[in-house]
Amino acid sequence: MADIKTKDFSKASAVSILDPQLRRALRQVGTGFDAARRAAIDEVSPKLWDEWREEARRIKIHSLDHLDYYLDLLEQNVTKAGGHVHFAKDAAQANDIMAELVRTRNIKIATKSKSMVSEELSLNPALEAQGVDVYETDLGEYIIQLAEETPFHLVAPALHKTKEQVAQLFTDKLGIPYNDDINALAAAARLALREKFLQADLGISGANFLVAETGTLVIITNEGNGRLSTSAPRIHVGITGMEKVIPSLQDLAVFLRLLPRSATGQRITSYVSMITGPRRADDEDGPEEFHLIIVDNGRSKMLADPDLREALYCIRCGACLNICPVYQKVGGHAYGWVYPGPIGAIVTPSLVGLKEAQDLPQASSLCGACREVCPVNINIPRMLLHLRQKSAESPDPSERSAGLVPNLLAEGYTRVMRSPALLSASHKLGRWQQNVWAAMPFFPFSKKGGMIRKASLPLLSRWTRMRDLPELPKETFRDIWKKDLKEGP
Amino acid sequence: MDRPLGVPKAEFLDSVRRALDRKPAAPDPAYPRLLDDVSALQVEAKRIRARLIETRPALLDRFAEVAEAGGWNVHRTSDPENAMAHIQSVADSLGVKNAVRSDQEVFAQILVDAPLESTGISVTTVSHSPDRSRESLRSSIIAADIGLTGADYAVAETGSVIIMPRKGLSRLVSVVPPVHLALVRPEDLVESLDDLFLLRRLEYHDKGGEMGSYLNFITGPSRTADIEQTLVVGVHGPKEVHLVLLG
Repeated sequence: MADIKTKDFSKASAVSILDPQLRRALRQVGTGFDAARRAAIDEVSPKLWDEWREEARRIKIHSLDHLDYYLDLLEQNVTKAGGHVHFAKDAAQANDIMAELVRTRNIKIATKSKSMVSEELSLNPALEAQGVDVYETDLGEYIIQLAEETPFHLVAPALHKTKEQVAQLFTDKLGIPYNDDINALAAAARLALREKFLQADLGISGANFLVAETGTLVIITNEGNGRLSTSAPRIHVGITGMEKVIPSLQDLAVFLRLLPRSATGQRITSYVSMITGPRRADDEDGPEEFHLIIVDNGRSKMLADPDLREALYCIRCGACLNICPVYQKVGGHAYGWVYPGPIGAIVTPSLVGLKEAQDLPQASSLCGACREVCPVNINIPRMLLHLRQKSAESPDPSERSAGLVPNLLAEGYTRVMRSPALLSASHKLGRWQQNVWAAMPFFPFSKKGGMIRKASLPLLSRWTRMRDLPELPKETFRDIWKKDLKEGP
Repeated sequence: MDRPLGVPKAEFLDSVRRALDRKPAAPDPAYPRLLDDVSALQVEAKRIRARLIETRPALLDRFAEVAEAGGWNVHRTSDPENAMAHIQSVADSLGVKNAVRSDQEVFAQILVDAPLESTGISVTTVSHSPDRSRESLRSSIIAADIGLTGADYAVAETGSVIIMPRKGLSRLVSVVPPVHLALVRPEDLVESLDDLFLLRRLEYHDKGGEMGSYLNFITGPSRTADIEQTLVVGVHGPKEVHLVLLG
């Protein structure tokens, strides 16, 4: 599996927040992607949009509730079309299947269109270990492959890079003259990759959807790299998570309406490719072999948990990233694994374990924007709360997000808030202490207009590091109520 | 080597069933969109076709508008000579030397070979035969300045041209050359994605479960916004796409 750096979330976030270039790039996800998404929804009418969302959700609920049946049907129909289906329970097994395929077929060069699952599995190193040269061909993925990084965003993997950085990267890695014109950079990638498409023995793709009825793999792309990867080489291997299956060809329509609009605001992408088995005997071109690798890698655990099953409805449009106040500040790399943003904060702990990623569900203000924009109406905030609860109540201390002291403080806080007598006593104690401080020749904390200024309180300094804290008022509301308000004005 | 790798299917499905706490069984009630038989689909398809004919003029307008917005350079004409003149002018303006085209019905209606060849353009029809191997055809496609195809369907809702590669219709002709030109006939047009997928389902079941190896939606040129969210047209696929709408 891909390297897991989720434990560094807080540290990595603090670094990202102070990076002015990331600030600029992230500001654009709101003005660019999300504005385009909103315009696309206004065009179809919000009412119709909600009907589509409900339909998509119903399809996903049904498909996942009967996943075994539809995987079986899918396998039968892929096989009937002349393809081969392989099932992998985890990342190691998926990579082994791929290794076996490239070994037995003497594969030297592979081109790959964008696949988040292959990032999850760390498929490229596994192929390279077999002596295969693997080329990412989506422009964003190609950039991060050259830079040896992970995707920053589900839809735009190299969102964090400036054109100057890309130009320097191309100069360093491809040996071409420096030119930071974006059109020229795309042309350079076209030139470098065109020959790879034509030389490749193997084309690898992910899948946006799998249609059980017909045994069809569907990919949704804009650049044309997906078409070339699945048409030019002599073998095509699709690799994807088991949750991508939908029952009928007719179910695809609503997803083709929702996904491009939610991702980039497009009515439809430049290309939608539907692949059913290898080329037929009479076809002019296309791969001689078609393989489909279906991966579990922790998904059955999510399926088994009724509180998390919903996360498997995700169609990876990235809308929840673009709207999220946390993602917009910390960016994709801070999340420490393959899937960033609100949906990543659910998928990652579920797939790699809460022990590794207990901080991610905390990385949310629970504002609910992610749920509002989700094209499948996934209740992300509910699942974040569920994971927080699991983490807080876990008997295993390594699964808990907070340490012993914060836990004790929270426990104390709970008790005080539950008891009017204790709450009132704590107010008295607090005010008494404030009076003691006020009577001192020098007030120990910086103060202004009834506020204790940030970064001046010991003990509570994590709370006040970034913001001022109001002083306790001289009277509580209960006091005022008793004295002045109870009788009415 | 055809044996499946990884875990056996039965074992994999068992683990999914355990996760779902389910016994092996078909969904109950059965899924409506899988339930209908061929005759039910035929009734629906007939209804769709009648509607398409009835609304065709408005549909053609809608398709032309949406396709243009999707990045196609649309030229509308019902006159074959005018269509040919337009194709010739596109080829001239690009300085085309080599063209490839698919072997589709529409090229019996719009005869492109002789006029293009008379202006010195070499035209290759991509259809393999005992004399013409797939490899040599592939080289012609790679060398071509423009690829010409018909359409199996066109979708007004999305402005898409649908191509279903098969004998005579290469996957590569519409993606490898820097320019793609598609000829769309009025009868290719459907209104919506729902129309398209219902008709495809019927064809699939009519042919005893044969989907064909590939179906491609093409909507405008190849594009990306992967660097600084700035739109670039023509990454791996065609930079320029033309649509001649014959109606």
